[in-house]
Amino acid sequence: MHDRLLERRRLLKSALAGVGTTTFAPLLAPSIFSTIAQAAAAPRDDRILVVLELSGGNDGLNTVVPYADDHYYRHRPTIGLRPDQVRRIDDHYGFNPGMTGFEKLWKDGRLAIVHGCGYDNPSFSHFTSMAYWHTAAPNSGDDYGWFGRVADTMAPQAQPNYLVNVDTAQSLAVKSRVHTPVVFDDPDKFRRNALLQERSILDAEDRAAATAGNRRFLEDVARSARESSELVRTAWDSYRTPVDYGINPLGLNKVAACIAAGLPTRLYYTAYRNNAFDTHVQQNDLHRRLLTYTSDAVLGFLRDMERLGQADRVTVMAFSEFGRRVPENTSLGTDHGTANVMFFAGRHVRGGHYGKAPDLGALDAGDNFVHTTDFRRVYATAIDGWLKLDAAPRILKGNHEPFPVFG
Amino acid sequence: MFGKSLAAAIAFWGLSVAANAAAGDLRAIEPAEWNRAKAAHLLERAGFGGTPAEIDVFAALTPREAVRRLVYFEGAASTADLPAFDESGVFDEGLEAFPPSRPATTDLAKARGEALGVKVKPDGNRRMQPVVNKFFYWLRASRLETHRVAYWWANRMLASPRPLEEKMALFWHGHFATSEEKVRDYRKMLQQLQLFQREGLGDFRTLLVAVAQDPAMLAFLDAGVNVKGAPNENFAREIMELFSMGVGNYTEHDIREAARAFTGWDFEGLRFVVYDDKHDDGSKTVLGATGRFDGVDVIDVILRQPVTAEFIAGKLYRFFVQDELDPALRRELGRVLRDNDYQLKPFLETLFLSREFYADAATGSRIRGPVELLVSTYRKLGLTEVPGAPDFNEVTATLGQRLFFPPTVAGWAQDRSWITPGLLLERGNFALDLLLPDIEFIPEDRYPVYPTGAEIRAVHERIRAGKDMTTATTPVDKDGGMEMMAQSSRNADRDEEFNTRYASYRGWQMAIERVKPIPRAAARLDLTNMVLTAGCRTAADAVTYLEKRFLVVSLDPEVRERLAGFLAEELGTADLEAARTYAEDGLRLLLHLILSRPEYQLG
Repeated sequence: MHDRLLERRRLLKSALAGVGTTTFAPLLAPSIFSTIAQAAAAPRDDRILVVLELSGGNDGLNTVVPYADDHYYRHRPTIGLRPDQVRRIDDHYGFNPGMTGFEKLWKDGRLAIVHGCGYDNPSFSHFTSMAYWHTAAPNSGDDYGWFGRVADTMAPQAQPNYLVNVDTAQSLAVKSRVHTPVVFDDPDKFRRNALLQERSILDAEDRAAATAGNRRFLEDVARSARESSELVRTAWDSYRTPVDYGINPLGLNKVAACIAAGLPTRLYYTAYRNNAFDTHVQQNDLHRRLLTYTSDAVLGFLRDMERLGQADRVTVMAFSEFGRRVPENTSLGTDHGTANVMFFAGRHVRGGHYGKAPDLGALDAGDNFVHTTDFRRVYATAIDGWLKLDAAPRILKGNHEPFPVFG
Repeated sequence: MFGKSLAAAIAFWGLSVAANAAAGDLRAIEPAEWNRAKAAHLLERAGFGGTPAEIDVFAALTPREAVRRLVYFEGAASTADLPAFDESGVFDEGLEAFPPSRPATTDLAKARGEALGVKVKPDGNRRMQPVVNKFFYWLRASRLETHRVAYWWANRMLASPRPLEEKMALFWHGHFATSEEKVRDYRKMLQQLQLFQREGLGDFRTLLVAVAQDPAMLAFLDAGVNVKGAPNENFAREIMELFSMGVGNYTEHDIREAARAFTGWDFEGLRFVVYDDKHDDGSKTVLGATGRFDGVDVIDVILRQPVTAEFIAGKLYRFFVQDELDPALRRELGRVLRDNDYQLKPFLETLFLSREFYADAATGSRIRGPVELLVSTYRKLGLTEVPGAPDFNEVTATLGQRLFFPPTVAGWAQDRSWITPGLLLERGNFALDLLLPDIEFIPEDRYPVYPTGAEIRAVHERIRAGKDMTTATTPVDKDGGMEMMAQSSRNADRDEEFNTRYASYRGWQMAIERVKPIPRAAARLDLTNMVLTAGCRTAADAVTYLEKRFLVVSLDPEVRERLAGFLAEELGTADLEAARTYAEDGLRLLLHLILSRPEYQLG
């Protein structure tokens, strides 16, 4: 995706940006480049958490396939993946055939699978369930996202560029009391186009004209944009990688660019967007492709971290708002379900299975899994196990025992 | 209710706090309170913003006349003169019914010896190539034609003497979100839009039934697989959750039962059909009602639920007034809609006349969506046609709202969801591209741009250089060799029966030939004339005038002063008349600065 050779338009813009940078360097250099230098000198134990959202409800059962369980084939007579199709990882489970990337991570001991993740009284609405996951408050909700609350705990004073969300719209998960998340989609476009003489006015720090409401919100966002756009774009412009992230890098290459440039960001949030995993109809080819892209992107990202010497700092956590109905439907697809697998990937991850897989022989009245792991235990694992905040009960508003995924 | 009457009684006794106590007050404002600012607010919300001349016309009416002109078109010109959509003529017989995927197409071709109206070659290499070419042709052609439909619609938003018709169509498009990404047929998307334009201000029941029987919607929600004995819940779930009641007001059992009632509903081409043999005629129990229901019966059961009127009324309120809605007011709005038998015009008349609608908290407080931002900017500039450059669809897509491509079945989240740091900058960049055209602009409907376009151009170049098809369609090299190559890049193209990369390229060529181009005129502006005609004499006058014309809230005086200083410096004088012959560039930069303000996002 980062191949610029054939991109006339992009080249043109880059060339112009190059001219611009040179011209404006005296104006901009002190703030931006000193920030980068400082960040690069930051201690190496500044751990980074990257959350990858698989939107639409990933079919966990056809992702990590229990090929040794007869119930699986009884529930899925046509879309079930045969034992000779899956990529076996042990004598019970195999990955979907599209997932060479995860297979490699598993063999390297860098992938943890957490089974049976869900919550009581599951919602079958994408939007409601996703909101529960975003807020870590199932069947209720919260004004702020769980990832935003993590940021508030890590940095109680507002810090620019602390929390990055690669997307076209801000996720509820990153909504923070203290921080204004940096949200961008295309770093090339994370730029204020303006003439030289306009810059001083556009960059001026206005006094707040409003104390609340949308006007104040817009003023805060404008400030965040001033503080981060140059930084992110410079990071992207100077980022080159030989690593192949596959067809859809899921924004992870942009995360890599920010890390490579030494941004002070500790928390990154990105997504496989637009309900992509909502596979009601004819799912197998499509689902396999989605999983290929996902596992290519995660493997590519971690390879890139190795290349950059940043692998010790970074862990990826992947989730979906629900799994799918255990029995297949009559359209060679699956309907909305409940409990699901979650993943951790990274050098410090102790690879293996965590949690207890739900019993395929004991579904609930709606033919769904009964969850065995409250998903907040997995969040707690990220918060206390990886980020070492010792604050999961406060952030998650309850005690959820972490898994020993990290040493 | 009692508390509300009490509040109304207090206001009636003429307490001086009446204006502030107006929150939740649905009584009509008094004619004496009507002014230019309120007329501007009405045009902003119930339309796409007004020019100074339009605001003057509405300010001279009574509030009821003004609202009725928008809602009932009383005294409004007809839309008969607006041009109909100019079809390119890209559809061919045989494309119906378009298979769901390329593999489904080639399977069909293999089984029948033809698909999409194209026969499989009897012999030789790549026997199915023409079929696959045709598959990609239609994908591309339908998408491009959909972009033209979006242009046609945007022009109606800009020019229609009945802007609320288009605004309601936009509301329903977000409410009954259907995407060309899945429907893959611009004809169905156009037909659905025309349904929204025709019925969007009418009777909600008529609209809901028509949408449930609309081919684009049926295709989008996989209605065809919902059959007797094997109901598919997708359609019934979305009808209850997103289209009528909202989550939490029905059980999973209700959904399964409702799904049975919708079995057999399908479409053929652009027509709704019911297949009796696939319809489950048995008894169902939905939301406490039992009967041998079909889909329309279920819709009627849904409409009898008080929560349905509240859900729809609340969503209309949040679209037209503000995002925050008090639960008591939501119930009250639901009652108004229900008392009007789900007729939208009297409901909207009440809403647009209400004190609530003109309360301080409700004015200048809503964040404009991307489509509204562009159309209202064009309107306020006095344009009569949507410019071809910048591209309307690309800009709105960048800002998060490409017409006919809503991100999910839930449509677009509103208000603050429209804004991120990146998108705020993009909104300013749009203003710059409009005011000082981007000479690098490359129309994406003609030229394959990054990222997928790079592959297509590579194929194009190699085919023309005389390479064989396999060589010409090899993916552009990645570093690191096979070991480091991602699985998806390694999945070599199946090259025995057909070549998809070539088909994608050939389909692109065929589409360009048949889809009419979008005219690419830039906006022609004359800001100098605009401000001088308005009587501006100084740089400060120009700032104040443009502020009033484009913004719905006032700038901080310090900002205003800074902008006036900027213009005076650009012009070398604060005297506009003296600078008349060259003032245009300075004024455009000034307007760019104003349109880049956070305040400009408010409507």
